[in-house]
Amino acid sequence: MSQCSCKTCFKYIGLALLVVAIIGAMIGYDRGFREHPQPDWVTSTPEMRFKYGSIGAEFDAGVPYWIFYVLPRVFPEKFMQDGKVAPGGYAALGVAWEQGQELPVGFTKKTIGFARVANNCAVCHTTSYRVSADSNPVYVVGGSGHTTNVQGFFRLLIDCAKDPRFNADILMAEINRVTDLDLIDSLLYRFFIIPITKQRLLEREAQFAWLYRKDFPEWGRGRDDAMNLTKYFMIRAPMDDTFGPTDMPSVWNLKKYVWDKGHRMNYAGDSHDAGSVIMDSALGLLGAAPKDKEDFLGQVKWLKDYLSELPPPKYPFPIDTAKAAAGKPLFDTHCASCHASDKTGTPLPLAAVGTDRGRLDSWNKGAAIKANKVVKDMGLERRGLVEEDLTGYVAAFLDGIWLKAPYLHNGSVPTLRDLLEPAAKRPKVFWRGYDVYDQVKVGFVTDGPEAHRIGTRLDTASKGGGNQGHEFGTGLSAADKEALVEFLKTL
Amino acid sequence: MNEEFESSPGEQKSSPWKRRFLILFALTVGLPAFIGLVMLQRFGGDEPVDYASPTEHFKYGSTGGEREMGFPYWIWRALPEVCPQYLPGKGYQSLGMVYEKNPDGSDRDVPVGTSKRRFQGIDRVFVNCAACHVSTVRTAPEKPATIVLGMPAATFNMKGFEEFFFKCAADPKFSKEYILPEIARQGGELDLLDRYLVYPIAIAIMRDRVLALAGRFDWVFKQHEWGPGRVDTFNSAKVIFNFPMSHLDPREFDAPADFPSIWRQRQRKEPKEMQLHWDGNNTTVEERNKSAAFGTGTTPPTIDIQRIKRVEAWIMDAQPPAFSDFFAIDRSIAAQGAPIYQKYCAACHGVSGSDFTGEYVGTVEPLARIGTDRRRLDSYTYTLAVNQATLYAGYPWRFTHFQKTHGYANMPLDGLWLRAPYLHNGSVPSLRDLLEPAAKRPKAFYRGYDVYDPVKVGFVSTVAQADGKKFFRLDTSVPGNGNGGHEGKAYGTELSAAEKTALVEFLKTF
Repeated sequence: MSQCSCKTCFKYIGLALLVVAIIGAMIGYDRGFREHPQPDWVTSTPEMRFKYGSIGAEFDAGVPYWIFYVLPRVFPEKFMQDGKVAPGGYAALGVAWEQGQELPVGFTKKTIGFARVANNCAVCHTTSYRVSADSNPVYVVGGSGHTTNVQGFFRLLIDCAKDPRFNADILMAEINRVTDLDLIDSLLYRFFIIPITKQRLLEREAQFAWLYRKDFPEWGRGRDDAMNLTKYFMIRAPMDDTFGPTDMPSVWNLKKYVWDKGHRMNYAGDSHDAGSVIMDSALGLLGAAPKDKEDFLGQVKWLKDYLSELPPPKYPFPIDTAKAAAGKPLFDTHCASCHASDKTGTPLPLAAVGTDRGRLDSWNKGAAIKANKVVKDMGLERRGLVEEDLTGYVAAFLDGIWLKAPYLHNGSVPTLRDLLEPAAKRPKVFWRGYDVYDQVKVGFVTDGPEAHRIGTRLDTASKGGGNQGHEFGTGLSAADKEALVEFLKTL
Repeated sequence: MNEEFESSPGEQKSSPWKRRFLILFALTVGLPAFIGLVMLQRFGGDEPVDYASPTEHFKYGSTGGEREMGFPYWIWRALPEVCPQYLPGKGYQSLGMVYEKNPDGSDRDVPVGTSKRRFQGIDRVFVNCAACHVSTVRTAPEKPATIVLGMPAATFNMKGFEEFFFKCAADPKFSKEYILPEIARQGGELDLLDRYLVYPIAIAIMRDRVLALAGRFDWVFKQHEWGPGRVDTFNSAKVIFNFPMSHLDPREFDAPADFPSIWRQRQRKEPKEMQLHWDGNNTTVEERNKSAAFGTGTTPPTIDIQRIKRVEAWIMDAQPPAFSDFFAIDRSIAAQGAPIYQKYCAACHGVSGSDFTGEYVGTVEPLARIGTDRRRLDSYTYTLAVNQATLYAGYPWRFTHFQKTHGYANMPLDGLWLRAPYLHNGSVPSLRDLLEPAAKRPKAFYRGYDVYDPVKVGFVSTVAQADGKKFFRLDTSVPGNGNGGHEGKAYGTELSAAEKTALVEFLKTF
């Protein structure tokens, strides 16, 4: 053969390789990175968007869809609650899950090369209640996610990733039982997606170490250690011994917060305004700087607009209007000075209220300065976190108070009626996250076999779980307390 | 290639290397390719046995379940002889599976309700829809059995069927040393490849596969006996998700339900979708069908949608056989029963056995009102319902209609006479018994006999054994077997004896 034909030969080989490389890159982009919009039904109404719409968390925090899908089948024993195996897959973690929906509320599915699952705000801000044990749940968007076991979910992902059975052979065998991946997706899953997911979940283990501390109680359903999440994830602070579990707050009717009037947000007035809180919370879900800043700012604005106008839910059961009317003056005398006045929405000194200080101690001025810098460095503008020493908890607005049970910032008092008892007479142990509603005491049913089976146990003697303080109106007569509670149903 | 060779003889001589190259090529590429093609031919196919007639397809056609769960044909044939101690009698017949006859009078090789498919080089057998929706009826003990398609499999002992395979797979005899000689004894002519390679491997794989599943079905062993004609439908469904069964609320267990009839599905779909299943947990016939198909071993990737559709098309308009083709109906007494039926029953159960019009037909009656045994209802949980919405994810027919209900659905009554015993858990042997208040209904009776009692309207339930078969004694005091409910004035249990007789006579026309 001549040199010339050899050269031609190499040329052709080179050309062929180039074509293969280009096609390979195109396939790789298409199956690995190409972003597809969510289907139309997701954005068909604002409520659907709030429940299922992506806020962009799938890029860094997304779990590949088919891994997410088979985890409950491969690792059923890792779905734990209160130290016991909880059967039922993700539903066992107390997420709000509408019948007929592929994913629970607050779980978003988006294809970026391959389908991924991440979360949005609704995962912690949708309330489930049931009229009776023999009825299906009603979901109220914007309410407190009092049934959701966030710590259980975090731990689940890490526990699965740490298990040697989290490998391509075992996961692929299960995936192949539920779907028919084509060759390219099969190869991607086996050689890239599964190993990379495992590695990325394990990378989080060090930061999540505090989730496994034996000397802290479990968050249980409906609580999270919110400011420590920010500390350990956003500003990567070293682990300390503070623990500040709080109830997931309701996020409806945010327009009531007016910065100029001194209103501050978050339980300890840690944040300046709704926009800041939404942005910081969304960044927590993203787990990283947003891929597309404009899109992210658009999402934050949409959420702020939506939640500003979202009305609080009306009490859905009958109200004794005469009794409620009798409760009105009691409210005006005993409650209004903090909960329906200029003070509402502003922090009160801790000494004046006397509730558990765990949450207050889990955050500080230095952390606020650092966190504000992290967000600023992402090129995001907001009023941000309050760079001051915090002195106490914010006097809460009471709109939709009937659905915000359990009460106090740490959810340590099961019902409004219990809150009107002095601390010594409030339940010392009860079960959170069972969703049958108690119309008498106003709150959820927190005791009995079903509450024990489904809920998580809260011991008010546990760290951060104290039920003391806010001993206002506790000296009223039983009849007055009932009337006051009846009135509170109207708010 | 040869031709090319001959056309250039000059080169042939001058290049021995070329010849060597060709030989080498033949050995390294040609031969393996040839063997590969042969193997592909031998092991690559995926061919179910098809039947032109829709009823034959219903009896023996494939749902696709053999791909995942199919037993190699000869293993299926051999097991009853290899593990006879785990069967109540001889062959699958002893589990109440229905066999048609060959022209020579012998039983067919496989029962009604099983299909065959050649997949990965082996003929495989597994159950299809007919396993649970076909049975037999006899007008008298000495009369021949009539096979009725679409009726509840009143004689089929599904729990026994499952336990047979799990126990046999765990038995040391589930090995090639015992199975291969049994195959030979039965006249199975395996070729060399099958005998020395395919079947030994298949036996090992099958054993592993069944034993792997045994763990997931461990809970079945702990249930009170279902007996023939019943299955714990929705605890079985939890196995799909690998729910950790031992951690479930104990109240979810012991929830056996009668197999339903599957005639006249079109009227359950049009003009209005009825709430299907005993508790009305789904309103879509096709989704309900695919859900049931999990019971035939299908999975989303392996289900044979085209062949399921043939069954679906057939059950749309399939009709039950008339009572009057088997026994006489006293038309004048029946005529007296008609107005009683219209007054007491029609609003919930429809105008007749063919006209399902009625205000409450196909809707759920709250448990507090119907009052029947609650275990079947409690076995189906909201948690299961939302998990079911993930089934068939990624397919256009992902399940979207499962819903938790809080009562039992009002059923249309087509072919009612063949749907005995009655209530969702089959706890009342006959229609006549159902018209008595619960306290007066039989506290225990036998299920599984196919001889019919035309007076009480139900299968003969007072006989403990016949034809060498022992029947299942259903004790209504056992959890899940309660025979209470569906009683009181509104339910006809306070009618006079004559009125009850007339009503039962009228119900024979359904």
